[in-house]
Amino acid sequence: MDLGGVDVWGQIAVETSQMFVSEGGVIKSRFAGTTIEKLPDKVLLNVFCYLSHREICGMARVCKKWRQIAYDTRLWKHVSLRPEISGLHVNSLDKLLHLISTRFGASLRYIELPIELITHTVLHELANKCPNLTHMLLDFSTAMQLHDFSEMQAFPTKLKYMCICLSEVIFMEGFMRKIYNFINGLEILHLIGTYEKVEEEEEEIYEVINVHKLKSATPNLRVINLYGINFVDDSHIDAFSSNCIQLECLAVNFCAKVTGSTMKTLFQRSRRLKCLLMQGTNLQSEYVMQVEWEKSSIQELDVTATDLSTECLIDMLSRIPGLRFLSAGQLNGFNDSVLKAWAELGNARNLIALDLDSSDNLTDDALHKFLSRYGHQLWGLALSGMPHITDQLWQSVLPILTNAKILVMGTQERLGVNIHVDQLMDGIANNCPNLERLELRWDPENLRFSDKSQKAIDILRVKCIKLRCLSLSRCVRSDGRYYEIVKANFERADRLTVVRTTTCCRVSNYYLLANYKDLIFN
Amino acid sequence: MPNIKLQSSDGEVFEVDVDIAKCSVTIKTMLEDLGMDEDEEEVVPLPNVNSAILRKVIQWATYHKDDPPPPEDDENKDKRTDDISSWDADFLKVDQGTLYELILAANYLDIKGLLEVTCKTVANMIKGKTPEEVRKTFNIKNDFSPSEEEQVRKENEWCEEK
Repeated sequence: MDLGGVDVWGQIAVETSQMFVSEGGVIKSRFAGTTIEKLPDKVLLNVFCYLSHREICGMARVCKKWRQIAYDTRLWKHVSLRPEISGLHVNSLDKLLHLISTRFGASLRYIELPIELITHTVLHELANKCPNLTHMLLDFSTAMQLHDFSEMQAFPTKLKYMCICLSEVIFMEGFMRKIYNFINGLEILHLIGTYEKVEEEEEEIYEVINVHKLKSATPNLRVINLYGINFVDDSHIDAFSSNCIQLECLAVNFCAKVTGSTMKTLFQRSRRLKCLLMQGTNLQSEYVMQVEWEKSSIQELDVTATDLSTECLIDMLSRIPGLRFLSAGQLNGFNDSVLKAWAELGNARNLIALDLDSSDNLTDDALHKFLSRYGHQLWGLALSGMPHITDQLWQSVLPILTNAKILVMGTQERLGVNIHVDQLMDGIANNCPNLERLELRWDPENLRFSDKSQKAIDILRVKCIKLRCLSLSRCVRSDGRYYEIVKANFERADRLTVVRTTTCCRVSNYYLLANYKDLIFN
Repeated sequence: MPNIKLQSSDGEVFEVDVDIAKCSVTIKTMLEDLGMDEDEEEVVPLPNVNSAILRKVIQWATYHKDDPPPPEDDENKDKRTDDISSWDADFLKVDQGTLYELILAANYLDIKGLLEVTCKTVANMIKGKTPEEVRKTFNIKNDFSPSEEEQVRKENEWCEEK
């Protein structure tokens, strides 16, 4: 037999794969006759489920049977075609059109399209061939100009979820007016601005999408997320609230023009509004105080990084009847008197999540008093970014935090004192059996640990079996030894994905929001 | 704990704790359908599983008897394959034939956890390989004619690296 060099190795690989070593030496496996070809298609399909779409396409070239399985529409329910965000790269419209009918078909539920692929032919094809498409993301963020949609006649009609990534300069109306008739069923709408891009002062701001027309087309919205959009202001909130009677959750995080001037009407109209997220907006205390909080059904509120005054916070917190979730970090106005007033005049009996990140005007004494009273009911507590809140306070409240699922502690600032991390881990392990996510932001140089730390980590690992994310700071200048110790400890116990760094994983109470799943966007 | 008897295709009988045997949905339904009494001396025949494989399946099920039940939600199944525990990885250090026999048994006996971890193992064997390397690894014959091969390459070129 004439075997080329490469083939010899291939042959050897195949043969060794069919043998195993026993005490008597190498013998041929009794199951050598069982090859991968004996596996039923259903099982092979299950194997392919664990491959990326790119790998699946490669495997279509192996043999006829594999091609047939690779083209099974069941592997193509959830497709991203944005190569920048780990999606597939389709370089021609014809190919995409072909794929939609042959590969995606009726299985497709979710698709992400980049600007190049958003054309009326593609959308027609999706409308005709994919009757079960309910979730769609359209990314216009890198657009230089919009395609011509004048001939567009059809659009997927069953959409429940739509996410549109806006560009700063491209006006969407040419596209939007063609789809208004098709999106009546939308329940979840995300409009994503360009907040994360570098902000240049004095740049002109364009209102690239007509919210007033959009709201008329979408009367069934339950969840609206306007994220980091530079033109969105109070009139747009007013517009949505005038037409969306089902509205339960409104997020306008990082929409800097929002001041809250239409909040009073928002609450008067949207009786079901339970969740309002306004982080990083320009919220004004006077408008917030005009809201009839006592009549609202608000349960979840984020006012982080706004400028609300102490007076306003006291007024609001003493009037909201049943707050479950409060994020109020980075607020100079949030001081001891707010906590005291809330505990005395307000109602924090339903509170399950509290985030007071970087509240420098809170003392550990006031926090301790508040937590002594309400700590047992909290699922999530974040007291990060405060140099004066150290392991001392945590150690004193941990015995109360028996229901905690999420804890965020520590500050990146260098401290004058060191954190006794072993004792802290011990305290967490012994008091918080339900813990799922934990973040320690302290600079590793401030953590006092030793080779004996293993024992404390062991206890945490064994007692907190639900822990699925443990995020630790890993500074460049330190060697990250504590992180390595903890990571190795969890890995030895086969919990490979638990330990992460604070740079790649931030823990937040947002997981506890009732609509958390609806609020995620890519 | 009550035991039941399982008989492999080659006639060997294994006595197993009922709770462990019930991790197989097939056995569980069989017991329920037959209304088998736990103290009865009946033997459950498993004509599709031979003794060597059944022994391994029981070993796996015994080790995993206290695992939480796998989530029902197939829609949001995690695609990751790097989370195979080291016990399972050691357990699955077998020749390919045995691995496929285990998959077939897990499929027939309907043991979700075992099917999942064995399929992940096969997926890991595929990952990062070219079609030609995959054929070699799994001893698969290329049954495409040159023109078909060219066609299937074209059908999938959109999917290749940018």
